[in-house]
Amino acid sequence: MNSPVKIWRNQGKIASLLGKKGVIISWTMVRVPPAGFSDQAPYPVVLVQLEGKRIMAQLVDPPVGGQVGKKGLIGMKVITVIRRVVQPSTEGVIPYGIKVKPLW
Amino acid sequence: MKIYIIGASTTKFGELWGISPRTLAREAVGGALTDAGIKPAAVEALFVGNMLSGMLGGQEHLGAFFADELGLGVPAFKIEGACASGGLAIHAAVAGILSGQYKTVAVLGVEKMTDHKPEDVATALMGAGSEEERLAGATFPGLYAMLARAHMAKFGTSEEQLAAVAAKNHFHATLNPNAQFHNALTVEQVMRSSKIADPLKLLDCSPISDGASAVILTAKSKGQRVKSKDVEIVASAVATDTLGLAQRESLTELKATKEAAKKAYKQAGIEPKDVDMAEVHDCFTIAEVLAMEDLGFYEKGKAAKAIASGDTTLGKSKKLVVNPSGGLKGCGHPVGATGVKQVVELVEQLRGTAGKRQVSGVNVGLAHNVGGSGATAVVHILKRA
Repeated sequence: MNSPVKIWRNQGKIASLLGKKGVIISWTMVRVPPAGFSDQAPYPVVLVQLEGKRIMAQLVDPPVGGQVGKKGLIGMKVITVIRRVVQPSTEGVIPYGIKVKPLW
Repeated sequence: MKIYIIGASTTKFGELWGISPRTLAREAVGGALTDAGIKPAAVEALFVGNMLSGMLGGQEHLGAFFADELGLGVPAFKIEGACASGGLAIHAAVAGILSGQYKTVAVLGVEKMTDHKPEDVATALMGAGSEEERLAGATFPGLYAMLARAHMAKFGTSEEQLAAVAAKNHFHATLNPNAQFHNALTVEQVMRSSKIADPLKLLDCSPISDGASAVILTAKSKGQRVKSKDVEIVASAVATDTLGLAQRESLTELKATKEAAKKAYKQAGIEPKDVDMAEVHDCFTIAEVLAMEDLGFYEKGKAAKAIASGDTTLGKSKKLVVNPSGGLKGCGHPVGATGVKQVVELVEQLRGTAGKRQVSGVNVGLAHNVGGSGATAVVHILKRA
C-alpha cells in the first residue's frame, strides 16, 4: 500500500477525484479497524454517489449527536478532500488519499 | 455421464490451537476416502480451496504442499476466490471431470486462521475487497453493514430481524457435533453484543475459525453401479460481479448470487420451490437475508420477517430449512473450508445421516457460497442418487 512508486502512479487518480460533491447512500461506523487504522477508530465509512460515479471513503469531521437524524447519514451532502489515509510506517512515504467531509 | 459425490468428511470447526493445517487436511481427506471406500491411489487430481495461506501463513504453492502431505502425488491446484474458495474448488473439480481429463478427484477446503492476531486476519480478509475499500479503512463487517443499512432503508428490515438469523443458526449448531459453537443465542443477546460496524454487532458476525472439509467426486457413465449413498451433483454454477461494493448496480441484492442461482436452477431443471434444504453464506446475518431473496426463496424485502418467524428453522419450517449445520455463524467459518463444508452437510442431509439436525424428506439440497462482499458467488445443487 505504501510503495512510493504506487503512490506516485496514483497521483493523477487522486487529483481527478478532488473537490467533487455527492450524497451519502449508505454508511457504517467501523469500531474494530484493520491494521494501520487503529489511531483513527471509531470512524464512519460511507458510500457516496458523486456525479456519474460512486466511491467508498472515510467521512471526516462527521456530525455529532443531534445533527444525525433518524436516517443517520443517508442523504447527507459531502465533498471529496485529500487526507492522510493510513498510519505510515517509520520509513515509508506518508500515504494520502481521498476522504469526504460534510457540506453544510 | 453424471458426477457423484462418493465420499464426504469434515473436521470439527473451531479454535483448534493444537491442530496444524496438515493434520486438518489429513483428517478431512482421509475421512472422505474412507467414506468413499477407495484407496488414495484412485485419486487422479487434488483441488485445494484456500484463501489466506499466503498472506497469513507465508505458504503458497498449496497444491503441491497438500498433495505431498497427503501422499497423493497427483496434479494439484490451489483455487482461490476469497470466502468462496471452497465452492470454487468444487466447481473447478467438476469442470476437470467434465473436460475428460480426470475421472475421480479429491477436493479439500482448508483454512487456519487462529494462529494470527485478529487485526492481521481482518487485514488479510480485506485482500478480498478493492483497494478503494482498503484505503477507506473498511472491514468486511463494515462492507456488509453498508449492505444492511441500504436494505433497512429500503425495506424496513430491523436489527432484531437480523439478530434472529444468528439465533436460528446457533440453535442449529447446538445439534451439530462439528460446529464451533454449541450455545443457544437469543435475539436479546445478539442485540446486546458490542457493535463492530453499525448496525452489525459481534453476534451478527461469523467467527474466525480453523477447519477442513473434503469431498471425493467421480464420474459414472450409464450402466455403472451407483450406490444408494452416492449423491449426484446436478448443478455447479459460478457468477462474478464487481470487486468493490461502490461499483455495484444495487446495494440491496447480490447480483452474482442471482446469476449463479439462475444458471444452477437451469442446469438442474428445477425451481427454487423444489429445494428442500439449503446451506447459504451467512458470513453476517444480513448476508443470509440477501441470500434467501437472491436465491429466489422469498420476494425482495420479505425474507427477514420470514426467517424471524421461524420459516426456515429446523422443527418449525414447513418447507425449506436453511443452514441446518449452523451456517457460517454457528458452525464456524474457516474461509477456504466453508464452501466444501456446505456440500458435506448437503451430502449428509441427502443420505439421511445428519443425526439430530436431520431435515425430514430431503431430496434436493442447495449450497450457496459467496466470496468477498459478493464479487463471487457459487451455487451447487445436489440430488439423491
